[in-house]
Amino acid sequence: MIGEISHFFTIIASCLFLLSFIFSTRTYQSNHNIEILVSRVFSYGFYFILISFLLYVWLAIQSDFSIKYIAQHSNKELPVFYKISSIWSAHEGSMFLWILFLALWSQLFNINLSKKNILKAPAIGLLAFILFGFLMFLLFTSNPFEVILPIAPINGADINPVLQDPALAIHPPFLYLGYVGFVIAFAYNTAFLIKGDMDINWERVVRPWSLAAWILLTIGISLGSWWAYYELGWGGYWFWDPVENVALMPWLAGTALIHSLYVSSRTKALKSWTILLSISVFSLSLFGAFIVRSGIIDSIHSFANDPQRGLYLLGFSAILITISLAFYAYRLPVLISTNLVASKSKEAFLSINNIIFATLIFAVFLGVMYPLIFDFMYGERISVGPPYYNTIFAPLTFLASIFLVFSVGSLWKRSSQLFFINSALSASILLSTLITLYLVSLFNDFNWWFVGGLFSSFLILFRYLILIIYSFYEGNYFNKASAIAHIGLGLLILATTFNASLSYEKVINIKPGETYTAEAYEFTLINFDLINESNYDSVRAKFSVKDINSLNKVFFLYPEKRKYFIRGQITSESAIKITPTKDIYMTLGDQLDNGYWVVNIQYNYLIRLIWIAAGVMCLGALATFTQSYSKK
Amino acid sequence: MNNLRRKRLLSVVALVFTSFIGVFLILKALNSNLDYFYTPSEMINIEIPDKKRVKLGGMVQEDSVKRNGTNISFKITDFNHSIDVSYNGVVPDLFKEGSGIVAYGLIVDEILIAEDIFAKHDENYMPPTIEISKK
Repeated sequence: MIGEISHFFTIIASCLFLLSFIFSTRTYQSNHNIEILVSRVFSYGFYFILISFLLYVWLAIQSDFSIKYIAQHSNKELPVFYKISSIWSAHEGSMFLWILFLALWSQLFNINLSKKNILKAPAIGLLAFILFGFLMFLLFTSNPFEVILPIAPINGADINPVLQDPALAIHPPFLYLGYVGFVIAFAYNTAFLIKGDMDINWERVVRPWSLAAWILLTIGISLGSWWAYYELGWGGYWFWDPVENVALMPWLAGTALIHSLYVSSRTKALKSWTILLSISVFSLSLFGAFIVRSGIIDSIHSFANDPQRGLYLLGFSAILITISLAFYAYRLPVLISTNLVASKSKEAFLSINNIIFATLIFAVFLGVMYPLIFDFMYGERISVGPPYYNTIFAPLTFLASIFLVFSVGSLWKRSSQLFFINSALSASILLSTLITLYLVSLFNDFNWWFVGGLFSSFLILFRYLILIIYSFYEGNYFNKASAIAHIGLGLLILATTFNASLSYEKVINIKPGETYTAEAYEFTLINFDLINESNYDSVRAKFSVKDINSLNKVFFLYPEKRKYFIRGQITSESAIKITPTKDIYMTLGDQLDNGYWVVNIQYNYLIRLIWIAAGVMCLGALATFTQSYSKK
Repeated sequence: MNNLRRKRLLSVVALVFTSFIGVFLILKALNSNLDYFYTPSEMINIEIPDKKRVKLGGMVQEDSVKRNGTNISFKITDFNHSIDVSYNGVVPDLFKEGSGIVAYGLIVDEILIAEDIFAKHDENYMPPTIEISKK
């Protein structure tokens, strides 16, 4: 019964969104009452979809297995937390959540935007149209409300055990919030293009929303990467998998957008580029949804294949993007700013980095699509691996770091003095060269990317350090939010560089009572415990590890292998010891006939710093968000 | 031609030129880092250049898994042909005889020396090519 109500409410919401869109097309005759109507009807639509989703959550908590989707992805024995997260563990439910978030962002925007804003009605109308399109997709191709007739199963089929994890359960919501958050910039800027009133200050409106979406997307990607690290047992944090790449593209475009918005709000330059970016970010989010949900590209993350879904998503996205780009092309002649970018000005350096970001996006896009193109052209299956992405990302990141450092201390609309005349710049170049030379000889690693990574990260860190110290003494103003975010970037480059250079792994054979010495650690396998939990059995090894370098301090590691009852699936739980410079990461392999076990030991250097750095970047963006929101 | 126009023209030419170089470099990086994906039947008929890493997809053949210390060797089959694979390390949890996997590595003396073994995180997973050849 509740299932039907939930279903019905979603249908009502779809109708209301359609109505809101239709009303919005009437506002072009500029009738004020209709503008209020658009916003009101939209709000009602939002409340219906919100209640519908909450009812669905209630159904999941109650384990109502008459709903096919819940029966297939949940289970009575699951803790409540995972009963809820099972909603977004597969296609239909996660699409429902995606749409809910789309509605949530739109409604927040609807409440926040002043009634007097002439772009309000067309922007909300466009959001209503987007919501309507995706709700039709949900109801006709991926209905989460489908019921099992005539008798509901006694128990559900459970979710995959590797998905029963806190970081995994919360990372999709953050990712979706980030992805769809860019819809605001898309809708508002498209409304601006449709109206074509060049006096409207859209940068101020769009900037805080894009920053908020960027923060959530960054958190989502970081959480996903953290989950993959400790749960999948491979010990890596990024695999250049197609599904990771489709999350990276909107992130890169979003990063370019928040910088470009900054430029165009300060100098009136780059307006057309900023608008194109705001269209691109949401288009790339839609592209991501298409890749993941159509099964067109083989990935370990992809949902079940269904060409019909892919076709609908592709078609609807194409309509949205075409409308937006058509108006863009139409308005381009007036958009192109007559303000030329002064050479060696702040906006010049930001523009160069924008070009670098566009190149990175293009490279990732090509890497994702190339297997499809290749298969189509030559009939051969290929995949594009990490070496491709590394050869592109490493040098371009180094280059972008240099232009970033140039932009610090440079001025808007005015040419600035570079290199040796600028003492702060030359000091940071000197310091980072010295420390890079020292570290390169210390670690005896002369790889170009190690040298480049160290140099560019220290360059960023020193430049901002000097800026902070200098401003502290002189009492000058400096952009603290930007400093925090870019220090985060410096730390991120540092962490990934060290991690790539120093980390290594060892596979060993060991049986209870034996000791294996690797570098400065003595691993002794003490014994195995058999553990019976409510939903799995587990074999847990107990290792004592002696740290020879630090006074023979002993700690324990407990890697385990679990067998889950309902699906009979086996999973490994890695054991991780966190030390200040590295993680010791141990995974239990198979048992051999002679009583030995295969065990994998990894030393992952500075891997924690990667997520800490991402957190610092988010803090910086949050500070910028609060500034730009209050200024709005 | 006035000065502004000349400036614009120059910047457009520079932009086109650099984007050509950029695209060229990206394509070059792409082409030198492609991993070909084969089934055992395809691999038998194809000459693979030395030092070229490949991906081999198929099922782990029944009764073919042998372990020796940290090393594991087995055959990957598509039910027509099979290829020997050797790997040093911990295999994925979903690795078992009869399960679908992908091995990545170099071919040395007709044996695939795998650097990575992938198993899809889905118990119904089958490499797409096997699905095609079974139809």
